[in-house]
Amino acid sequence: MPLPKFDYLEPKTVQEAADLLAEHGEEARIFAGGTDLLVLMRERVIRPKYLIDIKGIEELCELSHDEEKGIKIGAAVTLNQLIESDVVRERFGALWNAANSIADPTLRNRATLVGNICNASPAADSAPALLIYDAEVEVASKRGERTIPVQEFFTGVKHTSLKRGEVVKAVRVPNPPRGARGDYLKWGRTRGEDLAVVGVAALAANSGKIVRVALSSVFKTPVRVFEVEKIFEKGGPTNERIDEAVSAVLNRISPISDVRGGKEYRMHMTEVLTRRALSKLLGVGGD
Amino acid sequence: MSRHKISFSVNGERYELEVEANQTLLRLLREDLGMTGTKCACERGDCGTCTVLLDGEPVKSCLVLAVEADGRGVTTIEGISKGGEITPLQRAFIEHGAVQCGFCTPAFIVAGEALLKRNPHPTEEEVKEAIGGILCRCTGYRQIIDAIMDASKKGEK
Repeated sequence: MPLPKFDYLEPKTVQEAADLLAEHGEEARIFAGGTDLLVLMRERVIRPKYLIDIKGIEELCELSHDEEKGIKIGAAVTLNQLIESDVVRERFGALWNAANSIADPTLRNRATLVGNICNASPAADSAPALLIYDAEVEVASKRGERTIPVQEFFTGVKHTSLKRGEVVKAVRVPNPPRGARGDYLKWGRTRGEDLAVVGVAALAANSGKIVRVALSSVFKTPVRVFEVEKIFEKGGPTNERIDEAVSAVLNRISPISDVRGGKEYRMHMTEVLTRRALSKLLGVGGD
Repeated sequence: MSRHKISFSVNGERYELEVEANQTLLRLLREDLGMTGTKCACERGDCGTCTVLLDGEPVKSCLVLAVEADGRGVTTIEGISKGGEITPLQRAFIEHGAVQCGFCTPAFIVAGEALLKRNPHPTEEEVKEAIGGILCRCTGYRQIIDAIMDASKKGEK
């Protein structure tokens, strides 16, 4: 089926994009990789009258690293650009693994990290990693600019805290704590292209005193489980702390049953994956 | 609906065209330029049979707008062989029986050529990863993977 009709707009600056969004309101959608948007349009789930392509805006195409501030991922930066970055691979391991787990390498030549979070699926693979790294979302509108902590970005299934007329400029990810190691484990029905049954991002630093866990596909939004952090702050035998952390995670989530797995299966795999991720990062025995 | 003048190349040949905003690169290639080697199936980025190279990188052309090709270079299956000679990868597909119904073959060849250009000696895992976005319902992938691996080994000689 052909795509529904729309006007294609090509702003050259963020200001122009914000002006176009202000002018066309709900009838316009931001277009970057198109790997979610064009599919929804073809299926007539959404019918925007205007597509605002942001790939021609130079500053949104930038992926940069600053020793003080961390990385900045422009809204038009593709997942493959992120994967090719040595800094992301070496210092933001959970994010790098997450990017590698999204769809397939051909789609990742088009799909963007910012698109992944703006789509706001509970299964967004990049979201748990951004949550454990305390990422921030920089947005602009005709009214000005603001920064939204990623913790406050996801408000429900396919809903974000973006307001009408706001366009995401970039995601900023501060440098993780010194010596931190991160991982993202995704459980799908196949090893290839599929959404997660459950995804677990974890980070460990400071000899196991700093531990963070966030998950996808087991709550109405991607979710970071802050209780885990308190459990590890107090120290003590690692194996016991992992047991407590797994309980805290299971108490926090509320998965649904769908075509990819039942609620009980998701609970079980969440336990398996959380334990696996933490055991590996904290260097204790496990599977 | 907006219309756009675009200037781009397909397999080295230059085209100046006017396209409608909602036209995809896939339909432009197949319907306007008559290049039907690139296949149209799911049109939602799942099957990968519409894979072409955009400035040398594989993309699913059902999810690329024609207007986005402006100023860029597209390579389709029609542009893979040069001067009537098939490539070592195409020969390997024949030798390994990596073609059955043939519907997915153009996509695998295009993606395989892009992989071997970027990484002339891939591991089997790298081959599997690179073709992960393309579905084949006949061969079970084994012959396709073998063909790409074989072509990469022949490239060493």
